[in-house]
Amino acid sequence: MDTVIALRQVEREYRMGRTTMVALRGVSVEFRGGEFTAIAGPSGSGKTTLLNLIGCIDKPDRGRVIVKGQDVTDIPLHRLAGLRNRYFGFVFQSFNLIPVLSAYENVEFPVLLGGVSSAERKARVEGLLERVGLKDHRRHRPHELSGGQRQRVAIARALVAQPLAVLADEPTANLDSRTGAEILDLMHELNESAGVTFLFSTHDEQIVRRARRVLAMHDGQIREDATNCTAVPMPGRAAGAERIERTA
Amino acid sequence: MATFVLIAFRNVFRNTRRTALTLLVISFGAAALILSGGFFAYNFDGLRETTIRNGLGHLQIATEQYLSKGEERPLEHGLDHHAELQAWLESREHVRATTAQIDFVGLISNGEKSEAFLGSGVDPEREPQMGFTLNLKEGEPLAADDEALLGIGLAKSLKAQPGDVLTLMGTTRDGALNAVDVRVAGLYATGIKEFDARAIKVSLPAAQRLLDTDRVTKVIVKLDATRNTEEVRNAIVAAGLGPRGASLRVRSWRELATFYQQVVLLYDAIFLFLGIIIFILVVLSSSNTMMMSVFERVREIGTLMAFGTRRRHVLAIFVLEGAVLGVLGGLCGLAVSYVLIQAINNAGLTMPPPPSFTTGFPLLVKLVPGLLAAVFVLIVVVLTGSAVLPAWRGARLRIVDALGHV
Repeated sequence: MDTVIALRQVEREYRMGRTTMVALRGVSVEFRGGEFTAIAGPSGSGKTTLLNLIGCIDKPDRGRVIVKGQDVTDIPLHRLAGLRNRYFGFVFQSFNLIPVLSAYENVEFPVLLGGVSSAERKARVEGLLERVGLKDHRRHRPHELSGGQRQRVAIARALVAQPLAVLADEPTANLDSRTGAEILDLMHELNESAGVTFLFSTHDEQIVRRARRVLAMHDGQIREDATNCTAVPMPGRAAGAERIERTA
Repeated sequence: MATFVLIAFRNVFRNTRRTALTLLVISFGAAALILSGGFFAYNFDGLRETTIRNGLGHLQIATEQYLSKGEERPLEHGLDHHAELQAWLESREHVRATTAQIDFVGLISNGEKSEAFLGSGVDPEREPQMGFTLNLKEGEPLAADDEALLGIGLAKSLKAQPGDVLTLMGTTRDGALNAVDVRVAGLYATGIKEFDARAIKVSLPAAQRLLDTDRVTKVIVKLDATRNTEEVRNAIVAAGLGPRGASLRVRSWRELATFYQQVVLLYDAIFLFLGIIIFILVVLSSSNTMMMSVFERVREIGTLMAFGTRRRHVLAIFVLEGAVLGVLGGLCGLAVSYVLIQAINNAGLTMPPPPSFTTGFPLLVKLVPGLLAAVFVLIVVVLTGSAVLPAWRGARLRIVDALGHV
């Protein structure tokens, strides 16, 4: 598979009053189509910032971001709305569904923006709702759904525009372990069967184990990049360290 | 765009309690404007028609010299051949009736006491055709040339009763003193205390006899409807004001009704003041609602923009929300106003007499379609406008900040 997203020597800092917090320090990484990649690391390690830069919802202070061969670093964020709609689907920790829209309307929203025809929209939305097991809940509003169901709707919404990659920021963090495992199963199944690229951040070791590629982050850097791996928790995890054992 | 409208519409009902409170403020603001405007409109209409019926008429025609120079002696610049002018006027479209009138001053005496009076020489037969109202308190209307009607204040001062004979003294056109005896036919009230203390009415021939002239001061014209005043005025001016119209000038009730104009100015100022206060209340209330709405949905804004919603569409969602709130508030305001107007108009309430007036008037509120439309449009525009700043702030949010908002 070709490289679809590349980050080159990316740095990102945040100002908090007089203090400057470095979120990413010279990160370079590439992602190919069809990946199922976990970005692992403790809180504050830079996972979310990395996903934000990949998804073009934030800008690096230094370095380049290249999406499908196009250097998007210098394009203002508000001009990247169309690119985000076309290339990325987002899944958030708190689901972030639009409360006033039904499950169907939430899933349909990105393709409405993308100008997809009515018939095509209907086919895609209904197909995805069936695939995530919520065909019978299409008229339900988010508050009428359980946490797991909401995240399934969010996944369907992320997939409906047939994006280059689905970026999931701690997708199971607000779910109980069983529901979290079900969501991961769903993501895994979609990756396996439809070749959807999933990049997700997590600090859950169980989830990290399911990834085919793991980027272990610490202090704004990728400390390890392991493919076809299993992750083994280290005693020092609380301090932010994880050891990745390469199996292939 | 339909989805943005849908989102905006549904968001209005997302926080029902807050929306209800905002709609309540808007509704009562709109109702306050409509009710006060309707009350003023009723008063304007009533005062206008009363003024016209009290003897002003819709149009008055007098000589140019009388209007520009005044008179040193009675009817020095009076109107000759008034019957000819009246006949010409009555042939015009929209003219229902005309009457001639003499305004004069003099002294009235009961033999023991004299009082200055403001007199009107009128045509008793034409007065009812003109629709002029006479608030007769005692006695009968004018029937003969040697009769007079006295204002109740003047009658009281002279201790005069119907049937008494009084003497009118005045100056003739030539400057000589003259006097005629009149029998008091009745006592009447004008509604204005000061005028009641000086007013008398006599027949046109009696006044002409006292002033020793066949002239009149003016010819008064009654139209089929007040709204046709300017049209008729323009038409008769264009037609040269009749066969001898070169030296004549026509004035409409609007120019003559100075009290009416002052009342309109005063009420307009009150209405403007009230409107500004209500405008500020509605703007503050709706801005607060929209600001809260944006603040509560920061993360939602971040999500919308992450999926590719452009800033202008985020702006549109909130502005549309303001517009929906405005339409609902405007409709509620119209409904509340209608109910209140019906309730007030059916309650039979009476307002106390205004300063210097002797009688009160019914408290009624006019349903003015133009005012309803204007208030509705104002509410929609104000609500939409007050959503712009909060919406602009929402649309300017950085996506990562919005998504990270707790």
